[in-house]
This record gives sequence, C-alpha cells and structure tokens, in this order.
Amino acid sequence: MSEKRKYKKRYCKYCEAKVDFMDYKEVASLRFSLSERYKIMPRRLTGNCKRHQDMITVVIKRARAAALVPYTVSRKQVVTAPFENLR
Amino acid sequence: MRHYENLVIVKPTFTAEEIQASIKAVEEVITSNGGEIAATNAMGMRKLAYPIDKNERGYYYVIYYSVAPAAIAEIERRFRINEDLLRFVTIKYDSNREIKAWNGLVEKANKASEAPKAEEAPKAEEVSATETPKEEEAPATEAAAE
Repeated sequence: MSEKRKYKKRYCKYCEAKVDFMDYKEVASLRFSLSERYKIMPRRLTGNCKRHQDMITVVIKRARAAALVPYTVSRKQVVTAPFENLR
Repeated sequence: MRHYENLVIVKPTFTAEEIQASIKAVEEVITSNGGEIAATNAMGMRKLAYPIDKNERGYYYVIYYSVAPAAIAEIERRFRINEDLLRFVTIKYDSNREIKAWNGLVEKANKASEAPKAEEAPKAEEVSATETPKEEEAPATEAAAE
C-alpha cells in the first residue's frame, strides 16, 4: 500500500444508475467507457463492474460495426472535443 | 418468432426519393420472408465515424421486426447482394431482459415517428439548413487538430 493511488476510489457508474440494457445507437452514453483514441477503457480505470463491462464492450463493438464510433483514431484526427464532429 | 433489429446505412449519393425507394426495398425483403415490422426509425443523414467505400456520410435507418430465426440467413444474404447499402447490422433480442428492452425501443420509435409527422415538411428544410454549416465546421475542426 506504499504506492500512491493514482485514481479515486472507484465504483460502477452503471450499477449506480441501475442500467439494465445499453443501446449501441446512443453514442453519447458510450463516451464514458472510451478513451480519447476510442479504445475501450479498462475496468481497472473506470471502475465498471464485470457485468457492465461485458455489456459495454459488446455495445461498443456493435457501434463500431455500424460506423457510429471509430475503430481507431490516428494522431492527426484526435480532436479535443470528440463526437462533436459526428453529431 | 424472435425479435430483431436491423440498422442499414444507405449510400449518400442518392436523392431523397431514391433513398426512400431503397428503404422500401429493404422492408420488402423483411416482410417477404415472413417478418413483421414493429417500428422504424430514420436516424437521417449522418457523418460516418470512418469512411466506408470512400463515402464520408450515410443515411441511417433502423427497423425493428420479429421473424422466425431461420429467415435471418436469407434476409442477410439479400442485404449483402443489395448494392444500395453501405453496411447493415443485425441484432438479436433473445433473453427476457433484451426482449423488454426491444419493446421499450419499439415504443420509443413509434412515439418519435408519430409526433413529428406533422412537421415533416419543415423538417426537410431544417436538415438542409443544418447540414450546410456542418460541412463548414468539419474542416475547421480538422484544421484545429493539425
């Protein structure tokens, strides 16, 4: 425990909101679990529980297939306020 | 009968009538295979997250329907042949929780399609009005990123 904790104590935001089903078409709600390069954030950083992490990974992959969310973003395309150009 | 959802992206090079015609053809494929369309949702012309076949944008259309599971293979085969579609995504709603969510989505889509029917005529103008500034915005953000 000597190592300093980099992040706050985590809890699952989806559990708190009692999310039962995620819709892949609601892109804004997926933003929380995506990094700025649109990678799926690991559970150890977001604090998602296993159940909701499994749900969100499936949903994000669907959204990627539907071209709602990019698979990757190259260095040139990284924008400070992502998703605004998608709207 | 099982509940499904299909998202199709129609080519952006078409005119409005051609888009409607190809969507009708898509719905025809589903109904002719014994599907019952519960609700539809036109998400409209959107910018794609990544180019598909060198297209930067596409017309999104979502169809909720229920059909016998065996018919899905045929429906997907027909979609693959259809050259009007850039992409389609088929999603199965199987478990109890998913079926509940499907019912909710259908209700939501029906409500949304009923309400703005009266405003459809001005909406078309709005879309064209809002689209022009969008295109101006996109290069601006790209320039900022560089």
